[in-house]
Amino acid sequence: MTPHPFRRLSAAASRLLIGLAATGLVIMTAVVAWQVIGRYILSSSPSWTEQAAQVLMIWFAFLAAAAGVREGFHIRIVALEEAVGPRTRRVLQATGSLVVGACGLAMLVLGGELVLRTWSHTVPSLGIPRGLAYLGLPISGALIFVFALEKLVAPESGEAPKSSEAGDAA
Amino acid sequence: MELAILMGVLLVLLAIGVPVAFALMGASITCFIALDIPLVVVFQRMAAGVSTFSLMAIPFFVFAGDLMYRAGIADRLVQIAEAAFGRSRGGLGVVTVGASTLFGAVSGSAIASASAIGSTIMPAMKARGYGDDYAVNVTATAAIVGLLIPPSHNMVIYSAASGIGVSIGDLFLAGVFPGILTAFLLALVSWLVAVKRGYPRGVFPGWAPFLRAILLAIPGLFAAVIIMGGILSGMFTATESSAIAVVYTIVIGTFAYRSLGWTRFRQAATQSVRITAMVLLIIGAATAFGHALAILEAPSQLAGLITSITDNPILVLLIINVILLLLGTFMDMSPLIIITTPILLPVAVDVGVDPVHFGIIMMLNLGIGLVTPPVGSVLFVASAIGKTRMETALKTIWPFYGSLVLALMLVTFWPALSLTLPGLFK
Repeated sequence: MTPHPFRRLSAAASRLLIGLAATGLVIMTAVVAWQVIGRYILSSSPSWTEQAAQVLMIWFAFLAAAAGVREGFHIRIVALEEAVGPRTRRVLQATGSLVVGACGLAMLVLGGELVLRTWSHTVPSLGIPRGLAYLGLPISGALIFVFALEKLVAPESGEAPKSSEAGDAA
Repeated sequence: MELAILMGVLLVLLAIGVPVAFALMGASITCFIALDIPLVVVFQRMAAGVSTFSLMAIPFFVFAGDLMYRAGIADRLVQIAEAAFGRSRGGLGVVTVGASTLFGAVSGSAIASASAIGSTIMPAMKARGYGDDYAVNVTATAAIVGLLIPPSHNMVIYSAASGIGVSIGDLFLAGVFPGILTAFLLALVSWLVAVKRGYPRGVFPGWAPFLRAILLAIPGLFAAVIIMGGILSGMFTATESSAIAVVYTIVIGTFAYRSLGWTRFRQAATQSVRITAMVLLIIGAATAFGHALAILEAPSQLAGLITSITDNPILVLLIINVILLLLGTFMDMSPLIIITTPILLPVAVDVGVDPVHFGIIMMLNLGIGLVTPPVGSVLFVASAIGKTRMETALKTIWPFYGSLVLALMLVTFWPALSLTLPGLFK
């Protein structure tokens, strides 16, 4: 059975997001390394690097966080899901997807409001609106909403989640 | 009432399996609706939470550690530890602790440590007749040491959450002796349990392989020297030295180890953004949640409650430790650092505790939470790698918990253990 075109599209979108985010991380590394090179080798500290690295980080973190909803890498408690039967598990998972989707919607609408409010503030040294740094927030929210919706209407299976999926942050 | 809503919604969402970041976000949103405060404030706080400058060190530390792991450093560290400690009875347990401690100088992630060291040593343990429960217990608890040995991105989070600019360099230095002490206590318990169970002795591989392993590991461990040297000398900020460590790791992984091809580099970059995204989303959501708590005046109430019970520093620290241990059992480390630091740090400082010392107490305490059920991500990972049920491992984990709690008490009530080393660099 070939997957539904929507599912293929969202899988591709999620891969693309992670790829973009990883590129962002590599660029961020280069930017901060350039800051050090500038200070010690070219003996002129570039003023834009720190702010630029920060904007990059906010963007790639929010984009990858959206992909995380589809990949399921956000850390969560699976103890209850593992303890109940398949039918209850599906109800729990659907409820969870609803909550995540609602959060995504809130990120889209209210994060959008935040972007509009901060659009007139300028990031010193970069000359771009502060809102542009935060634009990743509503975009991530929209993607999270879509990915959560996908999980809700077409859950992948009623299988118990694997414990090893429990994140990687600690 | 609103506080009950905030905590109730959080607990229900966590229990039904909503990811931690979204549970914090959902609880904050519900609370702000109940308080009739504009919801955009939630997202203002979130955005502010992820915009802290020092947090930029997190992706770099994660990235450097992951690159090092993929370049194959874990195997070399295990070889060193095996040559040094492998000959004693049940030596592989002690080897695991030693290798995890060395790995702590490469990565500050306990999960990365459990999976890197565990996947290297656990097969050998199984082959030599060690119990599955023992393998999981040693691997999981030893991984906690990496949280104390610098670099440690959780200390970066603590520094940002403290709001009083606790120096990252001081925190890194302060973690060294407590880390070694914890490792020593864990090694002792690993050895005692192994002797009691009659596990076999290892064989010394000979001096040549030992020296070879050390030589091969030096370029990897040197990254930690660069990070610490850069920060302590004031040449680099913590963020800059972590970025330099990434560049350095790419260089030695490609040219010295010749094991870091394009595929592994890509895997490291994609895995690191996943971890960074997860941590930063949690930090953002936890910042909003902490703001809701502050509006409800929960921090001052809790602080008042503690100080009304006692103003004896020893008792205050004991109470704080118990609170953190309880919270740590069902909540992950980074959100707890963000939420509880602004509440508990002022209480501790009031009774004369140094903020750097308090940070180390917190790292070890919340680290213990990573190996305790129901939510113990490091214990999950170690059981998954050991292909053992967590319940099986838990039956015999008590001696290991014992040495972690003893280490926590020593770290808590012996400030010099943490503060001597940073004092030397003042």
